[in-house]
Amino acid sequence: MASLGGSSSSSTEYIVRVPKNTSKKYSIMAFNSGDKVNCSSWTQARMERDMSNRRMYGVEETEEGAAGSEFGKKQREEARRKKFGIVTREFKVEDQPWILKVNGKAGKRFKGTKKGGVTENASYYIFTQCPDGAFEAFPVNGWYNFVPQAKHRTLTAEEAEEEWGRRNKVVNHFSIMLQRRLREQERGPDDDDEEGEKGGKKKKKKGGRGGDLRIHDLEDDLELSSDESDSSGGEDGDSKPKKKGGDVKGKGKKKKKKRGSDSEANEDSDDGDFEGLEVDYMSDESSSEEEAGEEKAKSNKEAVPKGIDEASESEEESEEEKQNEEEGKEEEEEEEGKKTPVQTKKKRDSSGESDTSEDSDIDGEAASALFMVKKRTPPKRGGGRGSGGSSRTGSRPGTPSIDSASTSNTLRAAASKLEQGKRHVVGGSSESPAAKRLKMESSSMAVTTQSPAPSGKSTPQPPSGKSTPSSSDVQLTEEAVRRYLIRKPMTTKDLLKKFQTKRTGLSSEQTVNVLAQILKRLNPERKNVNDKMHFYLTE
Amino acid sequence: MSEKTEVDLTGAKQNTGVWLVKVPKYLAQQWAKASGKGEIGKLKIVKKQGKADVSFTLNEDLTSLSALGEKAASVRAPRDHPFTMHSVGGQTLAVFTETSADKISLEGMVVQRAECRPAVNENYMKLKKLQIEVSTKPQRLTEQMDRAVTNNFKPVANHVANVEYEKKKKAEGRMVRADRQQVMDMLFSAFEKHQYYNIKDLVEVTKQPVTYLKEILREIGVYNAKGTHKSTWELKPEYRHYQGGEEEIKSD
Repeated sequence: MASLGGSSSSSTEYIVRVPKNTSKKYSIMAFNSGDKVNCSSWTQARMERDMSNRRMYGVEETEEGAAGSEFGKKQREEARRKKFGIVTREFKVEDQPWILKVNGKAGKRFKGTKKGGVTENASYYIFTQCPDGAFEAFPVNGWYNFVPQAKHRTLTAEEAEEEWGRRNKVVNHFSIMLQRRLREQERGPDDDDEEGEKGGKKKKKKGGRGGDLRIHDLEDDLELSSDESDSSGGEDGDSKPKKKGGDVKGKGKKKKKKRGSDSEANEDSDDGDFEGLEVDYMSDESSSEEEAGEEKAKSNKEAVPKGIDEASESEEESEEEKQNEEEGKEEEEEEEGKKTPVQTKKKRDSSGESDTSEDSDIDGEAASALFMVKKRTPPKRGGGRGSGGSSRTGSRPGTPSIDSASTSNTLRAAASKLEQGKRHVVGGSSESPAAKRLKMESSSMAVTTQSPAPSGKSTPQPPSGKSTPSSSDVQLTEEAVRRYLIRKPMTTKDLLKKFQTKRTGLSSEQTVNVLAQILKRLNPERKNVNDKMHFYLTE
Repeated sequence: MSEKTEVDLTGAKQNTGVWLVKVPKYLAQQWAKASGKGEIGKLKIVKKQGKADVSFTLNEDLTSLSALGEKAASVRAPRDHPFTMHSVGGQTLAVFTETSADKISLEGMVVQRAECRPAVNENYMKLKKLQIEVSTKPQRLTEQMDRAVTNNFKPVANHVANVEYEKKKKAEGRMVRADRQQVMDMLFSAFEKHQYYNIKDLVEVTKQPVTYLKEILREIGVYNAKGTHKSTWELKPEYRHYQGGEEEIKSD
């Protein structure tokens, strides 16, 4: 090593060597400076090749060796693949990515992918200075870019697309991951440890609350009202800047949950703020909101027990009844129908989702339920309900037209009678239960409109047709109905089924009408079975 | 799953600094030709008021080029190569090594990046010219064929290849029936290697006439007409000894 002194410069010469016999292969490990990786701070590190890309063709076939293998199988497979032009890339171990784990299981993980094209036109050498002052140059074999691997939960591609579609509507971004976690919880309770690891500070908080919330059935509605207050309270402290968002968050969470389970394509609307409140009890003031909630609950219920037509139908029935009851009440209050147009509108909006096709039929018709029962299709009930409500509320000359006779008139007549009955009842017993009963009445193919006898007896519903199976002359008489009801409790729908129009020779409206009258006369007992109102007689 | 190799972190802990130098291809080739201790040249660092000029001078004996063929004799590799220094800005570069025994160790961190540039002179230009000539040669050539490609052939009584095939077959003669026991032994050893065999493959292996072979097979084996192994023969269950390994002895 010669040193030449200069005036203000000093130059030194070093010998450069390229060692020949190195068994070591040098590679570059590149980290992004943004990751702030400091190698000297590592206490322990493990690295291995990532073999996940290896397509085990050998394993797919039968094992090598005697058992199960065929003579010449490999060659035949090879020939087949060539024939079809399938070119399988050879799996080179040197080109596989590295997996680097620093500081054990709890530390960072990196994945190092090989960078192509490094040694094509120029070679890289590593110059290290030896203790004797000379430099040693080693050629670089490969360049690997190491990126840190995320340990926190991320969305999959499908979920990401979903969320992208909702990005304008979602204010509460924390709940996105919360939902995902909840969903995972449902699927696999043994994934708990994963979830435990997850979550930053905020998420932890939410996670705790999230754990209390369950996406199931009807309990949701009940739980949420209590949770809502908790969550919104908690969140206000949590996210001050998002104060408004906090409220929406709580509800958004609710909504999200429902959406998650329903995967309905519903819009978020502010009206939905009160969704999910209990469906059972209606009070005048909150009728419209609860209606909306009702709708939502109803639609929820539809989603959850899918395919159980009866169940949904009966639910619809009950809800329709409630709605009808509301309508009736409103009519009571304001015969003029001042409010009603407004109410109508609201109802229209809320029930808008449930069909519009029916509306044409149902212009100004009476009890939607009755009407729908007549048509014998569940969806129509919703529509019927909506429009029935509208008619009821007197947006049209509903009341008078109800009495006039035409196809739906009998239904209307029945409905009007129901109203009267309701009025009686309203005076007599507590509103809600009676109203409910009334509703159920009207919905379940009820044609009877007689006011229920007091003392808690629900308005007589057309006794669900008793057995009398397939007798050729099934006359719709009181005797027949009585027989049916004595034998077994039946819903109005069942009863209708018994007296098929083909058999009795009556038109469907007539049937309904007559049945209603019969039920009025019979005044059967009511029993709630499977959320459906059944009638029965004991004699 | 292979076990993880523990990475030797001594280099990282000591914070050994290394230089990453980008070297032109021809130079790398010359370096590979180094002999003896592997000395290739000298590195000269001149420190001028804070700035450092680094340059590398190639050893004399390494300047002869042989890579580019005949013309290379006239041209010599340039000797002077100044280094351009860069900072290691946007990346944190570490150097790790892998031994043939799959031991990984971290050698150090890159503290300086440099590019080795040849000093631009007449010699270098000539070298480059040569290189360009070589690289501009197209990889695919168009050649003229002496015979046109066609699918129209004259009708032939018997194709040449066919005739030869038949001759060969005749020369081989018919397959002779060997001793029954011998054939069975052959079959057993064959079935040790693979479980399922096509009759044609067995004929090839044993060199026995088909009917004779089939007779023996019917005795010791079973035919799979359906299933995954379409139309293959395998040994009868009582003769089989497959246990993931092979067993020599089979009951007879």
